[in-house]
Amino acid sequence: MADVKEEDLPVSGGLRSDQVSGVVLVVFALVIIWFNREFPVGTLADPGPGYVPLLLACTMAGIGLLVAFLGARTEALSAIRWPEATRALIILTACVAATFALERIGYRLTTAAFLMFFLGVIERKKPLAVVLVSAGFSLGSFYVVGELLKVPLPRGPWGF
Amino acid sequence: MLETFNSLMMGFSVAFQPEVLMYAFFGCIIGTLVGMMPGLGPLAGISLLLPATFGLNPIIAIVLLAGVYYGAMYGGSTTSILMRIPGEAASVMTCVDGYAMTQQGRAGPALAIAAIGSFFAGTVGVIGLMLMAPTLASFALRFGPPEYTALLLMGLFVLAYMSGGSMLKTLAMAVLGLLLGMIGIDVMSGYTRFSFDIVELGDGVGIVPVAVGLFGISEILLTAGQADPPKVQQPTLRQLVPSKEDLKLSVGPIARGSLLGFMIGIIPGSAHIISSFVSYGIERRLSKHPERFGNGAIEGVAGPESANNAAATGAFVPMLALGIPTGPVTAVMLAAIMVHGILPGPMLIQQQPDLFWGFVASMYVGNVVLLVLNLPMVGLFVNLLRIPYAYLYPCILAFCILGCYSVSNSTMDVWIMLLMGGIGYVLRKFGYDLAPVALGLVLGPMLELSLRQSLAMSGGSYAIFIERPIAVTMLVLGLVLLGLALKPMIFKSKDWRSNVGLDEPID
Repeated sequence: MADVKEEDLPVSGGLRSDQVSGVVLVVFALVIIWFNREFPVGTLADPGPGYVPLLLACTMAGIGLLVAFLGARTEALSAIRWPEATRALIILTACVAATFALERIGYRLTTAAFLMFFLGVIERKKPLAVVLVSAGFSLGSFYVVGELLKVPLPRGPWGF
Repeated sequence: MLETFNSLMMGFSVAFQPEVLMYAFFGCIIGTLVGMMPGLGPLAGISLLLPATFGLNPIIAIVLLAGVYYGAMYGGSTTSILMRIPGEAASVMTCVDGYAMTQQGRAGPALAIAAIGSFFAGTVGVIGLMLMAPTLASFALRFGPPEYTALLLMGLFVLAYMSGGSMLKTLAMAVLGLLLGMIGIDVMSGYTRFSFDIVELGDGVGIVPVAVGLFGISEILLTAGQADPPKVQQPTLRQLVPSKEDLKLSVGPIARGSLLGFMIGIIPGSAHIISSFVSYGIERRLSKHPERFGNGAIEGVAGPESANNAAATGAFVPMLALGIPTGPVTAVMLAAIMVHGILPGPMLIQQQPDLFWGFVASMYVGNVVLLVLNLPMVGLFVNLLRIPYAYLYPCILAFCILGCYSVSNSTMDVWIMLLMGGIGYVLRKFGYDLAPVALGLVLGPMLELSLRQSLAMSGGSYAIFIERPIAVTMLVLGLVLLGLALKPMIFKSKDWRSNVGLDEPID
């Protein structure tokens, strides 16, 4: 852990962060190996499409095991704090909703609604500022990217 | 030599005409704007403007495109430094220390050093292009699949050895990136791998959504929920200018990055991407205070930015001297100059010296104009930081969604960005470096192709890597570094990281 010195680590038992992350790496590697079984590995003289993924997954599993085995002196799992997790989840959920809406109601409406949610609901800014920033950003960015740079941005069913 | 100089002067006499300079300014402005958009890098900028150059004379067309090219490269660095959003793989290393400098209120010096470093590197690149193009191009042709495999592996080993955190974790992230690079159609067999019947994944996972997610989105997820949001910065004019100490610290990294970047850039393929990663690693290793890296070391901006820019110029060596495009950007540039009747290749310098030197001078003019344009604009860019964070981060999120959508006009890239943002958030909590994921993703397809080609060439024998001098040299160098990194794990001795108080010994 980049920020934690050994002497600062809590002496309590329990799982360590590297033990958990090492095991996750191993599990991830095993999942890759499972999905990779569909692809021929080939021979050394003619390696198939499954050859390099298998090689990499095995390497990942080996590294994961080393991380887990040598992780006994790292930070305790319970010492990792997640104070911003709720806000992070809200942000990700709002982004997911915006992505769903993007091609359905168009870029300008999605972006305006997205910004209004953040500025009005989450950050509780003044209504005038919320409207000005949301409308200004969505229309301005559409003009620069969509009109000037000719990037085809999605339009909603109302052509907007 | 005198003849070369005279030819170059002739090229400059054309390139410095007022009309040409005006187009250079125009190209740089468009390029910088385009480069600031994640997803719209140099390739998109040049492709967008290419049809508009058909009616122009060749020199003006090339100056315009060169301006867009350099402008887009610099624009990508601007968002990396100010918002931690790398527009492309080459800007990934810049955002590590560049953004840390921004958080310390030193965005101005970071942007200025990025501009100066890019200019110096571009100058070195143009001189190299001018003096050594034919010789270097013939050397670069000796790079076959085994050499390429060795180079890519060496890049990964260098990164693992020089990373600030745990070497094992860095290697794990590099392998994760390489695995992400396996998604999509296998070019040798036609199999579509790990796409789970999602058509868009057939083309693989792009670097833009991954880099924007891992760096930009994860940063917002970590920062936006903090009890104390980042303070609004109101830098004074003096704070925008690099200090003497900044300049002193940056001289070495800029010089080394320029040479390294140029040498890596001439190698056909997209190997130039590793130049910024290797430069960052070297600067950290050479520094007397490597613990500053990752926390706002100006050398961490100067080196990679210079290497990145020099490599971009170096990529023109095989293009001009051999007529081989070394990547998508050079392929489009090649098309652009061929439209104007210039046929790159071994005979270009002999048969059409005016066009060759005109091109070289045009590239340089683009570089000069970018510096002249962007140094005064540093203050303008830094004004972004005067916006309160509560307003800034929703706009950055909207900007990221827009940028990733623009890559291929598909929401799939936005989904990938969001997924990577969530993964990056968790990985940072567990102390994993994210830069190797981006490097691995870019190198993955190249490494796989060159490894499989090498094995096919040798009939399945890995001995091919030790039978070829260039390949074995690079592999030995990489393995020596790996051995040095493994030494503390085997002999319980101290690693360079622990000597400088960076981290625990290799775990």
